[in-house]
Amino acid sequence: VRLALAWRILTHDKGRTALAVAGVFLAILLVFVQLGFFIAVPRGGMLLYDRTRFDLLVASTGYEYQVQPGEFSLSLLDKARTVPDVVLAAPLYFGSAKWRSGEDGKAPDVFVIGLDPQARVFTADELNSQLAVLDRTDTALVDSTTRPMFGPLTTGRVVDIDGEKVTIGGDYVLGTGFMGLGVILVSADNFARLFPYRQLGQVNLGLIRLKPGVAPDPAAAALRKLLGNSVRIFTRPELEAHETAYWTTRTSVGLLFGSGLIVSFVVGVMVVYQILATQVSRQLPQFATLKAVGYADRFLGGTVTTMALMIVLAGFFPALVAALAIYAVIRDKTLLPVEMSGTRIAAVFAASLAMAAASALLSMNTLRRADPADLFG
Amino acid sequence: MTATSNPAHGWRSVGFVPLAWRNLLANKPRLLRSSGGIGFAVLLMLMQLGFERAFFNASLEVIRLLDGEIFLQRASKYRFATKDPFPARDLATARAIAGVATAWPLYADWHHLFWRSPSDGKDFLVRVFAFDPDQPVLSLPELDGGPKGVSDLDTAIVDRRARRFLGMDPPPRAAELNGTKINIVGSFALGPDFENDGTVVVADRTFAKLLPGRGGGPPDVELGVIKLTPGRDPTAVQQAITAAVPTDIAVLTKPQLLELERKFQADVSSAGPIFAMGTLVGFIVGMLISYQIIYTDLAEQQPQYATMKAMGYRIGYLVRVVLEQAALSALTGWVPAVLLAVLLFRIVGEIALLPLHMTLELALVSLLLTLTMCLISAVLAVRRVVTADPAEVF
Repeated sequence: VRLALAWRILTHDKGRTALAVAGVFLAILLVFVQLGFFIAVPRGGMLLYDRTRFDLLVASTGYEYQVQPGEFSLSLLDKARTVPDVVLAAPLYFGSAKWRSGEDGKAPDVFVIGLDPQARVFTADELNSQLAVLDRTDTALVDSTTRPMFGPLTTGRVVDIDGEKVTIGGDYVLGTGFMGLGVILVSADNFARLFPYRQLGQVNLGLIRLKPGVAPDPAAAALRKLLGNSVRIFTRPELEAHETAYWTTRTSVGLLFGSGLIVSFVVGVMVVYQILATQVSRQLPQFATLKAVGYADRFLGGTVTTMALMIVLAGFFPALVAALAIYAVIRDKTLLPVEMSGTRIAAVFAASLAMAAASALLSMNTLRRADPADLFG
Repeated sequence: MTATSNPAHGWRSVGFVPLAWRNLLANKPRLLRSSGGIGFAVLLMLMQLGFERAFFNASLEVIRLLDGEIFLQRASKYRFATKDPFPARDLATARAIAGVATAWPLYADWHHLFWRSPSDGKDFLVRVFAFDPDQPVLSLPELDGGPKGVSDLDTAIVDRRARRFLGMDPPPRAAELNGTKINIVGSFALGPDFENDGTVVVADRTFAKLLPGRGGGPPDVELGVIKLTPGRDPTAVQQAITAAVPTDIAVLTKPQLLELERKFQADVSSAGPIFAMGTLVGFIVGMLISYQIIYTDLAEQQPQYATMKAMGYRIGYLVRVVLEQAALSALTGWVPAVLLAVLLFRIVGEIALLPLHMTLELALVSLLLTLTMCLISAVLAVRRVVTADPAEVF
């Protein structure tokens, strides 16, 4: 009966209900969008790790975050390779250089990743097989999301990187994240040519791959013991926690989108409450009549809560669809990996239910004013 | 017909705001609800607009502080915070041009100098500016210690508003830059931006020691800061300098330098669209809420409006009452929202160390947006009054 009554009230005035649903739709959409950004930022920082195959990461004790990792000695990776459980210990070199072949004579900074092409470090096999081209002298692969200001990224184009002529050997799709405006991959040898003052004996990161089935935590403990205090060793979950903490607490990004998230939730509560309270006060005589014929306050309260839930549910699903579309646009425009996940949908759904509950609770006051005696006032 | 025989005239002489005002006050819980609803929508817009301004101001702030009228930089330099220096001789060429009073170098680095705070011994990347202490080309805000203090080799002044983990507030007595011990002789209050956590200012010779130029010589100039002889036409001098220096040197006025940075930030940072979207959502939600309020109010008061119509009030007058009421409810939402935003900006600005400020411009823009959103919804809702039929009252 409750459901039917709530349904009747909502369908009685379709225009008004449509308006209510539109308001809730926007509020929930806003929560989705803010949450999207809030999570996209650390994910953007994790981009390279997310698309690289490793079980443990070796980094300097001065490791800040992926782009500022510090340096440690390559010999430690050689040492790590002696552990029977370790299948691979591959170094990564990072550097920043001037791409002197940009549009309008500008020289944007390019983030250079030096690696061993044979190590096949990426999750995408397609990219791993492309790496063979890096064995050629002064050849680089360019991330296809590199900004237009770098000029055309056509294969075969020769560009000037810090005075060195480098041939573009192809492009790949990984995403630049927060590494910079443009990213290229080169072999360690070519890296040494681009950065003559750098020694290949000092590496920025080490990717460790374990034998299948080996548990990462004990392996990490064993490596820590072996390599000593001069480096840090992260398991995947530890690394994710470290990067997320960096982006949400060290930068202002977390605070910015975090506060946006809270305000959009409050705005959502306000919208639903506004709509419910209006509906209730409009139907006040009817509610009073129901009271007069013997329905308890609890029944009426239940009806209002059902109405709140119906409005929120009707707003939630279109908002989800719209959010998917907006995420796609943001992915396209900002190149941040804003993706919808099951947990995110569940979290926003829970927030929406909380919105409905909070606003229903707030409108109970209005409902209490329903006095059968007023009917004849 | 005399003025008193027409009730409408009698009301008019009292003024029309009281009716709108009374309508608004008639239902206190509803007023609270509406000002809460509109207020939060306005707060949402204010926060998004404030964040957007903070984002751009944070990166433009240091350019505004440059003490000069014309600037020389390498033409390939696509933004301020990137190292792309040019030879000092090009600045000397500019110095010889008629109309140039002074031409001094600014040295800078964003990616190669690490600050080791004595408190935790960890290394953090910092932004470093350097100049001749007798020719401070950067007007550092709230300077305590003076740029002349850094004349000695291996001394520096640091940013009190740098991110806390750098340990610059209060300034330590000494710290390390890339392993070199540096005595801290003063501080200023600049604040970080989205990429730089903190700033250190040293004398040109300390900078040259930390980051020597090619072959160990003096470092190249990041930015040439030029002051003009009073009364000189800046455009003419700018053209003369442009003609004299090599083509790979850009000669820019301060507005051009600021515009280059603003354009870069707008093009690549995606902050603009992100915050614009938030503002738009706030606007639409606010419009829905105020429409809802005005519509309900009109629906409830329809008999009253119909009665007034029957008494001879013109529709124009009734519509005006509705619009005034909408404007008033806009204000009841806007005022608390602005006050709350001032508080939030304070808190978030202090925690995030961002230049989040309630400016007159921001207040006016948000007021305009709030009024627009409420008036649009009033216009949409007012059809109710127009169609109010006196006969229906009975």
